[in-house]
Amino acid sequence: MEPRGVGRDARAAVITTLAFVTAVALLPPGSYVALLLAWLLVTFAGALLGISPGHLARRGLVALPFVVAAVPIVFLRNDELLWAGSVGPLTLQISGAGLRIALTALLKAWISVQASVLLLALASPPSIVTALRRMRLPDVIATSAGLTIRYLELLRDEARRMLRARTARSASPVGVGRERIGGTIAWRARTTGNLVGSLFLRAYSRAQRIEEAAASRGATGSLSVGTLPVADPRLTIKVVGVLVLVLVLTLAGVLLPRL
Amino acid sequence: MYPQLHIPDGFLSPQISLLLWVATAVLIGIAVRKTSRTDVRLIASQPILMGVLGAFIFAAQMFNFPVATGTSGHLLGGVLAGYLLGPWAGTIVMATVIGIQALLFQDGGLLVLGANIFNMGIIGTLGGSFVARGIGTALGGSRSATILGAGVAAWLAVVAAAGFTTLQLGLSGTTNIAVGLPAMLGVHALIGIGEALITVAALTFIAQTAPDILAGVSAPRKASPVRRLAIGVVIAGGVATLASFFASADPDGLEAVAEELGFLDAGLSAPFELFPDYTIPGLDGTASTVVAGLLGMIVVIGVLLALGRLARSRTKS
Repeated sequence: MEPRGVGRDARAAVITTLAFVTAVALLPPGSYVALLLAWLLVTFAGALLGISPGHLARRGLVALPFVVAAVPIVFLRNDELLWAGSVGPLTLQISGAGLRIALTALLKAWISVQASVLLLALASPPSIVTALRRMRLPDVIATSAGLTIRYLELLRDEARRMLRARTARSASPVGVGRERIGGTIAWRARTTGNLVGSLFLRAYSRAQRIEEAAASRGATGSLSVGTLPVADPRLTIKVVGVLVLVLVLTLAGVLLPRL
Repeated sequence: MYPQLHIPDGFLSPQISLLLWVATAVLIGIAVRKTSRTDVRLIASQPILMGVLGAFIFAAQMFNFPVATGTSGHLLGGVLAGYLLGPWAGTIVMATVIGIQALLFQDGGLLVLGANIFNMGIIGTLGGSFVARGIGTALGGSRSATILGAGVAAWLAVVAAAGFTTLQLGLSGTTNIAVGLPAMLGVHALIGIGEALITVAALTFIAQTAPDILAGVSAPRKASPVRRLAIGVVIAGGVATLASFFASADPDGLEAVAEELGFLDAGLSAPFELFPDYTIPGLDGTASTVVAGLLGMIVVIGVLLALGRLARSRTKS
């Protein structure tokens, strides 16, 4: 596995991922062969990084539930009907064109998620932020994003402890075979709101402490100083390679058979 | 029941994705300018507060509360961020949070990130915050009035974000607006109630525990009765317009627009194909498709096995 040092220039990895995801999005509906090609590229790259295809494939499933949004067109489009009939009181039809759009969207989402999993294997989150800063992301956003990533686990852990404390005391879910506990819905919402409010106060006072500590060391309010890595000397050639890859995938979408 | 608002890659057409990237970039650019002047000056170094509060929004999204078995209310936090940081800084924080969710947690896609920031950050946070301020001012500008305004705006923000998400999916040809829109709006009208309740409760808690913090953030503004009435009418008119737009929505009309713009069945038409209709020359239709499918499966399984072995060897070395 490649080193994920903060000092590495992650621009090539970021550009590759964005270009690849764009190329996949450009594939027309039904281009399963081209999608197979795209998937092969991702799994091959993953294997080179030491990530097994099965693991990658499972990670890709996070986008699966969203396919619900595409369900209506399977039943409501009137073209290429595969089946029409009635189920009980309902008259239903299944459109081949709708099915194709839904399936294509699902596969694209699945492959794209795997591509962004690879990005994380190639580059650490701080180096991604640094790369984006070098690609003209405004300083206030880059600094804010860098700090959010830095304090993310800390505050999530804080939230986890507060949730555990709440579960131990009150407002727990309505369980099977249990009496209703934790008052009315409004009461439960208020309890949750209080947790959010006190988490905010803790975060706020932490921000104040960080600010004092940073100011006492002469910070200027930007994370940029000292975090710029050595520029990747082969960036241009890598970007050209990526553009060729995008072109090949797009051509594959045009030329290869679609179903 | 969770908000279905983080669109993954592949569900929006590239045209729609790029259009929303442009809109998002312009508005975030304005937000960056606004915050670099003065929006909030609570602590000398504002980016530190914004960064830590970004992590706070992330963590606050973990908080849910049971509504009924298997259903829970849960927080997106857009209007909350806008109230605590001011509309512009709050929008940047939400955009950052949504970006990190996509990059680090694959929650929402990368090409469609512009759309997701537009729906939840621009519409939800920026729009929501201005609605919240407007309602607060119209109700008299007291602390409790602005918090009530934030509650209403929080509900509206979730519903509007759901509406815009569905419209974009519909224009991309990935959903049927006539069916999808009422479904999404219905579900998110319920989810929005949870959002509103948590937002109001959190702000009330903060106002009671640490009123000095809120005083610096968004001081209630006094306004003349005429001005209050005018703001109230404008907001009511805007909401009514949006509601009627979504309610009637002339779904067939929207569908027709989508069709006309060519987003449905978008894509390049092939000048020629190597294997027309998936057939292998020399075999008739059905058999050929079956053979092609079997070949595909064999290739996939072979690749999986080979790459699995490669991955193991790379991990060891």
